[in-house]
Amino acid sequence: MRSTRLTALLAVSLLAIASLATAGCGSSDDDTTSGGSEGGGGGEPLTVGSDIPYPPFEQGKPGEYTGFDIELMEAIGEKIGRAPEFQDTSFETIFRDVAQGKFEAVISAATITEEREEAVDFSNPYYLSEQAVLVKEGSAIKSLEELDGKTVAVQQGTTGQELAKEELGGSEIRPFPEGPDAVNALKAGTVEAVIIDAPVAQNAVEKSGGVEIAEKVPTEEEYGIAVAQGETELLDEINKGLEEVFDDGTYKKIYEKWFKLEPPQEIFSASHEAE
Amino acid sequence: MSEFFHQYFDFNYMGEHFWEVLEAFLQNLLIFAVVAVLALTWGLILALLRQLPGKKFLPVRFLTIAYIDIFRAIPILIVILLISGGIPFLEFLPKEIRIPHWLGKPDPFWYGVAALMLVYGAFSAEVYRAGIEAVPRGQMEAARSLGMSHGQAMRHVVVPQAISVIPAPMLNEMISLLKDSTLVSVIAFAESVLISRELLAQSFNSSALILTGFFFILIILPLARVVDKLIARNQGKITRGSHIEVA
Repeated sequence: MRSTRLTALLAVSLLAIASLATAGCGSSDDDTTSGGSEGGGGGEPLTVGSDIPYPPFEQGKPGEYTGFDIELMEAIGEKIGRAPEFQDTSFETIFRDVAQGKFEAVISAATITEEREEAVDFSNPYYLSEQAVLVKEGSAIKSLEELDGKTVAVQQGTTGQELAKEELGGSEIRPFPEGPDAVNALKAGTVEAVIIDAPVAQNAVEKSGGVEIAEKVPTEEEYGIAVAQGETELLDEINKGLEEVFDDGTYKKIYEKWFKLEPPQEIFSASHEAE
Repeated sequence: MSEFFHQYFDFNYMGEHFWEVLEAFLQNLLIFAVVAVLALTWGLILALLRQLPGKKFLPVRFLTIAYIDIFRAIPILIVILLISGGIPFLEFLPKEIRIPHWLGKPDPFWYGVAALMLVYGAFSAEVYRAGIEAVPRGQMEAARSLGMSHGQAMRHVVVPQAISVIPAPMLNEMISLLKDSTLVSVIAFAESVLISRELLAQSFNSSALILTGFFFILIILPLARVVDKLIARNQGKITRGSHIEVA
């Protein structure tokens, strides 16, 4: 008698868990998506990978993503008639993923580098950037050199990590999977500085507080939109869309919204040949 | 298909990074060794506290059971993130405790060790308990009726018999612990999974992860076989019945 009651109890609880799980799956999509702007046009949606969050370039909850990259991509999508559908993805695998076709394009504050070009092709640059050394407010550290021998946080797979490895051979470099985790470690005091993209650092100073930029390291980086190698048609479309967004003032509007500054003139003439 | 092998089984790549990954794997073994000692001890303490008889020890038993229940239920990843994300902010603790750099190991190492110890202490306590309860109640009663105190009965009669039942499930826990040492990678401690992901990010190749997997299999497979043998031997004892010597 007892064993049948026990079995019944086990069966009921497993059934309950299973139904809760399927109820959870039913409402939302597998891939978190964000519908493009209304003017998306008749084309198929464009799947775009991005490492979210990375404010101010991409942030927000699934279905409500926002940020400079997000809005720029939506504007480009409108020009080429393909509304972007964003997929949150981890940065360290993002280039491999687009190369393998997991999504069609990547916009994720991604710097154009030679190593990455072995796997993907980049559009013309859409943002000029540099690195920054972020420290706790009131810290005595004022420059990159002073970080020698100290503990420094970076995000895995980023150019910030490369810069740290090149310049700071004697320091402990801690790679975090997400940019915001590195900033949290700084605030907690477990690391003494974070090397990360300057606009992201600036955003941390303004939005999260308690941190300040010790030094900006001008690395003359350019962000590009990545597509799989050989996707020349798609790349041309994206470049054309980007050009139109530059020309009709949409880029300037989005830039000023997110950075409160006028975009530098160089960006409008920056170009990049896919290798 | 050849792309599959290149992505996962690039032996040249594994050869190039062999020592790098091995060195990082040694960190996993280090975490395992340190936590094993701590958790086995802590678990034993918990198990004994849980056993304390009588009304006056009720609060102790209650707290111990609550601790064990909580730490068996919370995912280890959450515990690691809570410890590393919260402890540094507890200003009332001195800095050496909040951000430990003991014995040359960085703070994420110690946060990971703390989290794993808290959780595996709870699991170990349950294994000890199972061992102790496997000993027939009559043994304890007989010992008490011979005039031994609770403590003496435990030490001379119950625990020695429990010891034969404990190794198999405990070894299973230790195997889990070795695998769970990889969780410390989320707080940026340079153990094998973190290093493999670094290599993955740099070269878009997953072979380092496979290599890491090999190392784990190499160590754990023999241990798993030992567990199987122990369980088979215990089954044999139970079904055939054995005469238990009471010293």
